[in-house]
Amino acid sequence: MSFKGTLPEKNWSFKLEGSFLKLLSRVFWVAVGCTFLFPLYWMVTMSLKSKSEAYDNPFGLPTSWDWLNFSEALSKYHFYTYFENSVIYTTGTIVITLATGSMLAYCLSRMQWKFNSVMLFYVSMGLIVPIEVVVIPLFQLVKWMHIKNSHLGLILPYSGFAIASCVLMLYAFLRSLPKELEEAACIDGANVYQTYIKIIFPIVMPALVTQCVLIFIRIWNEFPLAFIIASKDQFRPLTVGLLGFFINVGVTDWGLIGASMLLSSLPMIIVYLIGNEKIENALTAGAILK
Amino acid sequence: MNKYFSTKVSIFVFAFPALLLFTLFCVYPLLPEIWMSLHKHDGFKNLDFVGLNNYKEVMASPSFWTAHKNTYLIVAISLLLGLPLSMMLSLFIDAQTPKFRRFFKTVAMFPAILSVTVVAQIWLAFYEPNWGLFNEILHSLGLSSWTHSWLTEKKTVMPSIGVTFLWQYIGLNALLFYTGIKTIPKSYYEAALIDGANYIQVCLRITIPLLQNVIKYVLILSTLGSMAFYSHVRVMTAGGPGDLSRTVIYQMYYTAFDTSEFGKGTAIAVIFILECLLISFVIQRYVAREKLEF
Repeated sequence: MSFKGTLPEKNWSFKLEGSFLKLLSRVFWVAVGCTFLFPLYWMVTMSLKSKSEAYDNPFGLPTSWDWLNFSEALSKYHFYTYFENSVIYTTGTIVITLATGSMLAYCLSRMQWKFNSVMLFYVSMGLIVPIEVVVIPLFQLVKWMHIKNSHLGLILPYSGFAIASCVLMLYAFLRSLPKELEEAACIDGANVYQTYIKIIFPIVMPALVTQCVLIFIRIWNEFPLAFIIASKDQFRPLTVGLLGFFINVGVTDWGLIGASMLLSSLPMIIVYLIGNEKIENALTAGAILK
Repeated sequence: MNKYFSTKVSIFVFAFPALLLFTLFCVYPLLPEIWMSLHKHDGFKNLDFVGLNNYKEVMASPSFWTAHKNTYLIVAISLLLGLPLSMMLSLFIDAQTPKFRRFFKTVAMFPAILSVTVVAQIWLAFYEPNWGLFNEILHSLGLSSWTHSWLTEKKTVMPSIGVTFLWQYIGLNALLFYTGIKTIPKSYYEAALIDGANYIQVCLRITIPLLQNVIKYVLILSTLGSMAFYSHVRVMTAGGPGDLSRTVIYQMYYTAFDTSEFGKGTAIAVIFILECLLISFVIQRYVAREKLEF
């Protein structure tokens, strides 16, 4: 597999001909770019407006800064519970998927097993099934396993669905690596488990980081399955908890809604500000992998 | 080395956990899904075997067809409007200076990392009939007759939700295209430059044809993604007014979890899976069949 950083950067490009066309396209796309940022501006300004100002002046700058929305949001909106749940679901899924997925990928790419190609095909079928279509049987399954009212009720299905892309990406990565390192370890008397943990795991780290970012973004924002399975308030992640809060507040207090939206988005925005290039590489890795 | 490493025990230890998780949660649910769709099911147990009756009843309901019309409208919006716009944005990003490009890439991805709940709720405020952004803009332009109660009128509700969806993922798709553009060897462009080709010709004759693998990938992703369109509808209109903005997945949720007819819900799911398989097959079979190697 190839990562974006190693690709040659094109150091020149064709210039758009005709200054009018060039200007027009630039104006259009800069305007679109502003709309991409507008929600951030709107969330911030809305959260600082009092209830009456939110009505009179919903899209302008706030006349006076009002921090009351945040304290009210923190007391009425169970931010900490939902945040904690989101963190548990996301880390749980990442740990389980990366551990089991990388082991299967190692098995399929390195070990002599007669079912290797069959299993690779079998796992790749997982890319076609959208999680939404099996929500009903998953709901029944999770209920039957008595894990519906626990964090495992979402972590295990999430992991099952994340494994396909994890295995395929790591498989492609491992195939591109030479076998000499493991052979050296073998001669030194290491067994397969030691070799896997001490040699392979550190080498596949870049691919694991990519997967980690992908799963983080997907699970942190996952909605359809969490909406059904995490029906109890104490198990809801941010996405579902926020919707429940909106329904409770109704459409009367947009300042409060703005504050709760900003609180809920803040963790992701911070992660994005720190690692947006890594996130971009991870999200686009699939496009050049195939 | 292979003989020493590949014992039956080590293969089992390495392969079993992932295969178990994958099989249990991703593949196995399809079996009870099909089984349930042949029964009357109240959410607790299968009651009676009814054969294909669930399918017949589901297909006889007008809501099912409204849901299909809405789903394919979203698919059409994201393929016919979304993909060309994403492609134009990626070509635009490619033509910028590195500093400007970095900025645009960062901004373009931003909506896609926000959660559906937040994005949908923000757009609810934009569509608000009394003080929403769009009606305010139309009023100030003197086009008061163009204002709508966007999310409660039959004609505007589905396109409005579609635009929100489009807006959220246009930048991400553009970045996928741009990743592909970067892998095209520059010798192709140098040859075109020598032949005196202009920018538009270069885009149409070199960039887009050489991008076909990425285009196919994005095509499959956005088709399946918009087929399974659900979350935006849940937050913005909850399927309303009436059943006018339900999508197929929404109709499935509604049938199973709101009216407790799990048998019919799974029947909708099975029909939907068949549609997804058919569409993926058509794309795999007829779009960009040969893999390009540079």
